[in-house]
Amino acid sequence: MNKFIDFNFLFESIKMIIVYLPLTLQLTFISMLLGLIIGLFTALTRIYKIAVLKQLSTFYISYIRGTPLLVQLYLVYYGVPRILYIFQTQYDLFDNISVNGISPEFIATIAFAINLGAYLSETIRAAIESVDRGQFEAASSIGLSQTQIMLKIVLPQAAVAALPNIGNTLISTIKDTSLVFTITVIDIMAEAKIIGARGLGYFEVYIAVSLIYWATCMIIVKFLNLYERHLKRYERGIV
Amino acid sequence: MIKLHNIHKYFSKHHVLKGVDLTVENGEVIVILGPSGSGKSTLLRCINFLEHPSCGIIDINGMKIDSETASKKDIRALRMSTAMVFQQYNLFKNLTALQNVTLGLTSVKKIDEKKARKIAQQLLNRVGLNDRMKYYPSQLSGGQQQRVAIARALALKPDILLFDEPTSALDPELVDEVLSTIKQLANEGNTMIIVTHELGFAREVADRVILMEEGLIIEEGPVEKIFSNPVEERTRKFLGKALKRFIIEPNDIKLELGVEK
Repeated sequence: MNKFIDFNFLFESIKMIIVYLPLTLQLTFISMLLGLIIGLFTALTRIYKIAVLKQLSTFYISYIRGTPLLVQLYLVYYGVPRILYIFQTQYDLFDNISVNGISPEFIATIAFAINLGAYLSETIRAAIESVDRGQFEAASSIGLSQTQIMLKIVLPQAAVAALPNIGNTLISTIKDTSLVFTITVIDIMAEAKIIGARGLGYFEVYIAVSLIYWATCMIIVKFLNLYERHLKRYERGIV
Repeated sequence: MIKLHNIHKYFSKHHVLKGVDLTVENGEVIVILGPSGSGKSTLLRCINFLEHPSCGIIDINGMKIDSETASKKDIRALRMSTAMVFQQYNLFKNLTALQNVTLGLTSVKKIDEKKARKIAQQLLNRVGLNDRMKYYPSQLSGGQQQRVAIARALALKPDILLFDEPTSALDPELVDEVLSTIKQLANEGNTMIIVTHELGFAREVADRVILMEEGLIIEEGPVEKIFSNPVEERTRKFLGKALKRFIIEPNDIKLELGVEK
């Protein structure tokens, strides 16, 4: 091994690592979806100033944004089995699930969803508040209910406003999933470590994994741009 | 018939409306004039509860709503029988001109999509926008947007149309197309209350003119009487000042008012 890069090994590594890409993507997209739901819900409690829930949301966002993702992963990894154990022994709930049988992928998805919910909540809140008040008034003045106004007028416009930020969060999440090897999930990063550890050269495997992350992100960015253009069709100027 | 009884509005400690009574007959066109801050827009917005009146009763063709006991359902019913045209148009930016008009029909009145589209097309025709149905608000000029807003307001067949300075945000050359649309509606016998600064237009379109100052109606009467022979000195002063500012048909109105040149 006197070459700077062993290209053969690099290509071999890519082939082996890419097998785990679907897991990385699945983890990213499912937790993103759950995060959006949590984010929307917490954003609404703050916009409508719902007592108690609003304070809880504020606390949740502050806590998640103020602690490292890695710590949150560990907390969920060790916390979920304990909570489940308490439910089972004290309330006879969820008896069909084995405490030791919870998959680390599931734990990782939950941890990422909780983390993303907090960041997306702020994004969604800002986007909803960016829709001008006048349209809200016009919609109420023709008798639309609060829910109808939200669904038909505010959220479609807020989605457009939020998309660039949501896209950034999505890209970050793909890269952040490289932390899940710490809780025993085998994703592309974990596989790279395993191959590297076989003694054939860490440098090549890390180049391989970086190329896979990069290509994935570029493809997603491309799609996001197209989607954004589609959503923004109503912002075109005078024809 | 629309009756407002003893409408008060406070913004925290600021007393904006100090007990306004007003009766509007069906088919009547009322123009409200008055200096900025006199409560004209607030009064208009109280009629459909965009501002919740601090106290007072609103009666639209027998549907009586007391501001102190009004439920959400009452307010929605009231809003369905009134419609408002805003200074800033406030079109739904994510919907086309056509969809802006159909939304109220399908979502509030539960009319089916096809029928709603037909009604909307007729209305957009009426305001002269038959070739702009599929355009989004960002693709329309201010005057066109305001005409879509008028069509949207008409769609629900309201008992009364409320216009809140409908031309104030428009470029001068676009004002006429909106005013002529409103004039046409007045001639068709719609009941309307218009807040405006366009005195010439007020004179042409109004059956009755109301002057407000500091949250109260200080004078009301038929349009010719208010313009040519107002009782109140304050009315005279306001009209004189307004004419100097806007210079609409200055000579004939000034002569009638006896304002010195």
